[in-house]
Amino acid sequence: MTPLLSGHTLLVFVGIPALVIAVVALLVFASSIASGPRYRPGLSWWAPPVWIGGPEPLKPNPANLPELPAGDNSATASTGVARTTGGASASW
Amino acid sequence: MPAGDAFTPDQLYDIERAVRHAETVSGLHFSVYVGGADSETRPFAIELLNELPDPDRSVLVYVDPAGRRLEIVTGPLARRQLSDTAAGLAALGMQTSFATGDLAGGLVTGVQQLGSHARQAPMLHANQPHQQ
Repeated sequence: MTPLLSGHTLLVFVGIPALVIAVVALLVFASSIASGPRYRPGLSWWAPPVWIGGPEPLKPNPANLPELPAGDNSATASTGVARTTGGASASW
Repeated sequence: MPAGDAFTPDQLYDIERAVRHAETVSGLHFSVYVGGADSETRPFAIELLNELPDPDRSVLVYVDPAGRRLEIVTGPLARRQLSDTAAGLAALGMQTSFATGDLAGGLVTGVQQLGSHARQAPMLHANQPHQQ
């Protein structure tokens, strides 16, 4: 008389399904694993600052930047050109 | 991608290419900064703009992922080519992408949009005077 749970039975009914599940999970999460951590709004930001097209390749530390003098946004240059910056703001 | 980097090399390449293209079509200098700010985002973005070699003719896109803030700052001369309304439209598109977690895609699209809005029409009559 054969035992109820032989090694062969375990392999067929547990091992193979587990292997299939592992392969499917790997296929599903492969892209996210390869691309690394993804930005998720509302959660903390982990990466150091990146400045593309900045004054130098060095990534600046915000703590080292000088204080913004009051009224700089509407200062007037010596050339007479109004130094009013423009642009837009948004939040998400 | 190395742990801790904001973008993959491919994403960085795409953003840099969008920046170069925007500079080519507009004649302005474009810069993208992604990082946190110690103070209010708008003054911080203006200070970053002033750090650039030619701030008057520069456009800075500042993204604070942690604070979920976006600032587009145009220098005084760049503002003549890129109106606040056009910058607002580009900000709207970027805002939508950022809200879904797509920082790189939003930046690429937004910078491209800013560049095309700031595109200068060729002055053929000035560049190639009519020959008699």
